Amino acid sequence: MRLKNKSNAKTAEARKKRLLSMLEQQGLNIYEHLDKGKFPQFVIPSRSVSNIVYDKKIRQYILGSASAVRSSRNMSQLRSYTQLAWLAFFVNRLVREGKSSTLRDIYYSSQAFSIDFEDQPESDNIIVDLEAVLTSPREEFHIFPEERSSVFGDLTIEYTVPGYEGKRMNLSDHPDGYLIGPSLSSAELVDTSAELVIAIEKGGLFTRFVEEKVHKKFKAIIVDTAGQAPRSTRNLLRRLNNEMGLPVVILADGDVYGEHIAMVIKSGSANAAHLRELTVPDAKWLGVWATDIEKYKLPTIPMTESDIKRIYDLQKDPRYQEGNWKKQLEVFLKLKRKAELEAFSKYGLTNITDKYLPAKLEESKSF
Amino acid sequence: MSKEVFSQISPSEFFYRNRDLAGFSNPTRSLYTSVREFVENALDACDHKKILPDIHLSIKAVNPEQADPKHYILTVKDNGPGIDPEHIPLAFGTVLYGSKFGLKQARGMFGLGATMAILYGQITTNKPVTVKSCSDGKTLDEFVMLLDIQKNKPVIQKHTTKEGSKTGLAVSIVLEGDYSKAGLKIRDYVYQTSLITPYASITFEDPSGEKFHYARIVKDMPRPPTVIKPHPHGIDVETIRRMITDTHYQIPAIDNKMIDKIKKELSLKKNISHKEILERAQKRWSDISRPVRTVVSVMSFLNIDFEGLKKIRIDDIDVANKIITYWDFGESQSHAVELNADSPYYKQLASTVQGDTLLTFLTKRFQRVGPTTAEKFCEFAKFKPDKRIGSMTNEELVKLADALQKFEEFLAPDPSCLAPLGEEPLSKGIMKFFNPEFAAVWQRNASAYSGFPFIVEMGIAYGGDIPPNGLKVYRFANRIPLLYDEGSDVVLKIVNETEWARYKIKGDPPLVIVSHICSTRIPYKTVGKENVADRPELERELKNALQYLARKLAVHMSRQGAADMAKKRANLYSKYVPLIAQFATELAGKKKEPNYNQLIRMGSEIEEQV
Repeated sequence: MRLKNKSNAKTAEARKKRLLSMLEQQGLNIYEHLDKGKFPQFVIPSRSVSNIVYDKKIRQYILGSASAVRSSRNMSQLRSYTQLAWLAFFVNRLVREGKSSTLRDIYYSSQAFSIDFEDQPESDNIIVDLEAVLTSPREEFHIFPEERSSVFGDLTIEYTVPGYEGKRMNLSDHPDGYLIGPSLSSAELVDTSAELVIAIEKGGLFTRFVEEKVHKKFKAIIVDTAGQAPRSTRNLLRRLNNEMGLPVVILADGDVYGEHIAMVIKSGSANAAHLRELTVPDAKWLGVWATDIEKYKLPTIPMTESDIKRIYDLQKDPRYQEGNWKKQLEVFLKLKRKAELEAFSKYGLTNITDKYLPAKLEESKSF
Repeated sequence: MSKEVFSQISPSEFFYRNRDLAGFSNPTRSLYTSVREFVENALDACDHKKILPDIHLSIKAVNPEQADPKHYILTVKDNGPGIDPEHIPLAFGTVLYGSKFGLKQARGMFGLGATMAILYGQITTNKPVTVKSCSDGKTLDEFVMLLDIQKNKPVIQKHTTKEGSKTGLAVSIVLEGDYSKAGLKIRDYVYQTSLITPYASITFEDPSGEKFHYARIVKDMPRPPTVIKPHPHGIDVETIRRMITDTHYQIPAIDNKMIDKIKKELSLKKNISHKEILERAQKRWSDISRPVRTVVSVMSFLNIDFEGLKKIRIDDIDVANKIITYWDFGESQSHAVELNADSPYYKQLASTVQGDTLLTFLTKRFQRVGPTTAEKFCEFAKFKPDKRIGSMTNEELVKLADALQKFEEFLAPDPSCLAPLGEEPLSKGIMKFFNPEFAAVWQRNASAYSGFPFIVEMGIAYGGDIPPNGLKVYRFANRIPLLYDEGSDVVLKIVNETEWARYKIKGDPPLVIVSHICSTRIPYKTVGKENVADRPELERELKNALQYLARKLAVHMSRQGAADMAKKRANLYSKYVPLIAQFATELAGKKKEPNYNQLIRMGSEIEEQV
């Protein structure tokens, strides 16, 4: 049994306290400004391209030192200032009352307070602004995306959501896996017998892995990222790695998007450069590599124009400048063909779990 | 000099040959053109005598039940000076050939247009023209006339005289027209004419009996134009030829009248001998007139007395070849006599026949040319200043005309022949017509293109009663509205090239531009005289005027914008600050809301401080 490393973790309760305190500070600040006849303002770290830099030390994208002021003094910013103040107010209610919301729900809730967002992208943006102001991911605000990925394996959690406080649950009890939703995200991780986390891009293979008892054969927790991993999933992967000390490996399609799914889990995305705690710097990309396509003689399909353009784009990214990441991009570009995880079915439905996965896990020990 | 034969054409032939040029191509256009000709003549007549015009225009269908095109009675009545009864038959009953040597700004060329309308009416309906005139304020003469198309003579059907009370003229014709199609243009024409003639009162009664009345807006007449000589830059070869012929000596016809004139000038009592005549002429040479000098010189060469003179006709005096050709009635044959170049009369004949020297011609016949300028010009053009203009060959005339165009030291043309409306009347007209929220007018200084002076006046109006349908341009030239061929006009070109966004004008603005070009010759693009060509000088003036006005409008728009902005700010802060206060109160865990009224007030005022 692997026990949680308490000293390395912020408990859910601690994070909640910190957040509520920051919100109260913001509130007091605004309150005093209004009372003294001064224009209140928010200082928001700039998320413009020029202020996003790659930090080699912590191995993720971070925001530079530039920040923007959103002031109620500026008429053209007054509306978005008020939106941001409202969101802080609303998040405060959500967190205090232990209620959850979604991006879409935020957009609709605003109308009840005469806050007029023109569309959901506008409210989504304000949410990202508040993330930047408070340097906390929206999941801590209890705001989740609509799409959810799943987790399965021997992991015991303890809920913190109202009504379930202290209730424990083992995530291998249900064969379909468990949705990585608000209650799972805010739960404490108690213990696990697993020695490995396998993140897999596709729901179909996630089910196959459960059926093939990969969790037992490899002592693994299996996570379905459902494509590009949502932040709550990346946060969970990080906590499994950080708090439970489990190594994370990633299996994705054999194309440039698959490679980048692995990279985002490992070192984050430019979109979330204002946030920490979403990356697993030691995560390993098992495959499918471009070189695997030849090595395992996988059936392929030709790349599209946009696939090739994506390779050229990623070649400019500082994280793809060396090692295997760089090499695989070059081979993809040479092949101009790609293979899906399902391609292994050509050699039998269990080929991927019987042959490929053990081989790659073995290989991964050397990189 | 050779005789040219002009073949006589009948006026109706003349009409048909020129109907397109004159604007009578179809019943729609003809009705419109007739209205214009009569209205413009009426306005010109009043302007000329400085009378504030009262114009009444009416169009009545002869048989309203009939479908268009049909016969209409067109009547235009004015309060002008009227026309002397003895001149009326000739003025309205013949096709006049006007000649214009002097230059002044006028709406139309008097005579031709109105006569074309009368002719058109007579040709299409065979109805006479009715002219009522009172020129002395006491008697009113009424003529009912037809044109004798073959003889170009009026046929007076009726002439009555009765008591009149005030001066004025009323002309009424019956013509074939199409009001259903021309109506819109005619109403537009009357509307726009009233705009550019704010000192006139104009009433229009249309065939349905509807009355359009445009009251007088200003009571001051604009300064009338004066007649001036042409500017050298505005001259072509043909004009020079006409001017020279005009100054040029003409071989006098020898008849009893001429002989009496000679006798009178030489104070001769009875027939005296050839020798005595010449002696007497020598003594008084400087006092006697040019034709008499010429005839006496001829008498000296032909060695004849008055009796001899009566028997001949001088056909040609060819100074260059020193030959006089004359016809002897007695012998019924032509004779040629050589001139003795040594004779004092040769020089006299030569100078008389060949007309003025170039120097005299330039200073006498052109504006802005003094002796110094004339001499400089002669040097520039490589002509001797004492070169006789009558002796110039065709090539030399072309060279002269060319040099007149190119010489750059002539002063700019005299604009006193122009009659712009003036800023105040134009402004008042615009205010009355559009009742705008903002208006500005500007009269540019006189400028010139190719020797023709011109002045640009422009007005701009925004908002108020102007509908927000986009920019509308009213174009005028010499106080005439230009309604057709808008697309290719220089004014439209300038307006369309303007970047209105720079002047804070967007979308379909409630914007009106009034452009008035005054010139002794408007550079029309086509014979239709509805669109003005883009001469660079004219384009520059129009552009300057428009930019100046647009900048004024922009200032207005900014002020308006600032006021709107302040209002918008006030609304925004009143809406958002209480919300912010509500959110902050709960966030901060306070019970009572902060006092935010000061902030709302500050927020509303802040823009003006910036």
